[in-house]
Amino acid sequence: MHEWSVAEAVIKTVMDWADGRKVKVKRVVLGVPAVSFLDSDLLKEAFDTLKRDSILEDATLVVRFKSPTFHCNSCNRDFSLDDVKDQLDRVRAEFGEDYPMHLIPALAPAFISCPYCGSHDISAKAQDITIDQLEVEGDGGPQGSG
Amino acid sequence: MSAKGGVGKSVISSLMALSLPRATLIDLDVHAMAIPKLFGLEGRLHEVTSKGIEPFRVKNVAIVSLSGIVRDRFVVLPGGNVASTMESIIAFSDIDTDYVVFDLPPGLGDEVLVLERVTDFVPVVVTTPSRVSRKVVDYLLKYLEERGKKAKVLVNMAYMECDGKTVKPFGDYEGFGLPLDPDLENYVGRIQDYEGPVRAKVGEFLSALF
Repeated sequence: MHEWSVAEAVIKTVMDWADGRKVKVKRVVLGVPAVSFLDSDLLKEAFDTLKRDSILEDATLVVRFKSPTFHCNSCNRDFSLDDVKDQLDRVRAEFGEDYPMHLIPALAPAFISCPYCGSHDISAKAQDITIDQLEVEGDGGPQGSG
Repeated sequence: MSAKGGVGKSVISSLMALSLPRATLIDLDVHAMAIPKLFGLEGRLHEVTSKGIEPFRVKNVAIVSLSGIVRDRFVVLPGGNVASTMESIIAFSDIDTDYVVFDLPPGLGDEVLVLERVTDFVPVVVTTPSRVSRKVVDYLLKYLEERGKKAKVLVNMAYMECDGKTVKPFGDYEGFGLPLDPDLENYVGRIQDYEGPVRAKVGEFLSALF
């Protein structure tokens, strides 16, 4: 997988944000879409190797997986997979771990309906890898940026 | 394939696959899933191994259908998801035969575009003698022609043999005619056992094709 290129991009993004200021980054919280199948251990290993001799030298990487989110085209509301956990559990109970959406994610609308209006006209929302939190020490620059 | 629904695509696809030496029959009609109903495979689930979706084996035919993944359930899907689902079925199927027969849903949408994306294919277009069916099917034939594909036209339910005479109950037609055999209905659920005149004629059609 592409854990190393993701780690490199995270470090570059943080350095671009610091823009030459003398700060030390202590902690980076990364939001990763669950469907990206990134390996968090591998991601941390890549991060720890690539951060050397930079302002991120003492930084720890925290990886938080984001649950997939959906949009209902009928009532226009958004919901996450956690909001329809009961529906997902029923599918898992019937089919086991090789349940249909695990095999073919595009089948989600056939098995999941909007928790607000019941419509099956739903679409998965694209999710990005995001830096959700930074903890820094140093020259009075912004701290704990969201 | 056909732009028109209800013309007999699934029955003919099944009989074609049964008439080939060894064939994989992939059911791409993710809403109707008629193939398992014809072969008596309803309610059965595919095994999924590291090699992919393991087809159901019936005589010389390896069968893959979404019903083997969702069991007997309605499949309601927005358009884009239909295309991804069809692509996934093709991509994940463990195919080990020289021939693959695709049973398509009716229409001129993703069913045609997906097939063009994934493979080169020999189009066999099914119609009935009905003029409305033929007119709808002509759209598909013209499209295929524009894409450089010469389609073979099978006219289902074209004629009957009565006391040695050929009768065309729905009038004249253009294309390779298949007989109307009411007994075929008795083989829904065990089409692999059907040896009647439609099967014989489909075999004849295939010999001319390859």
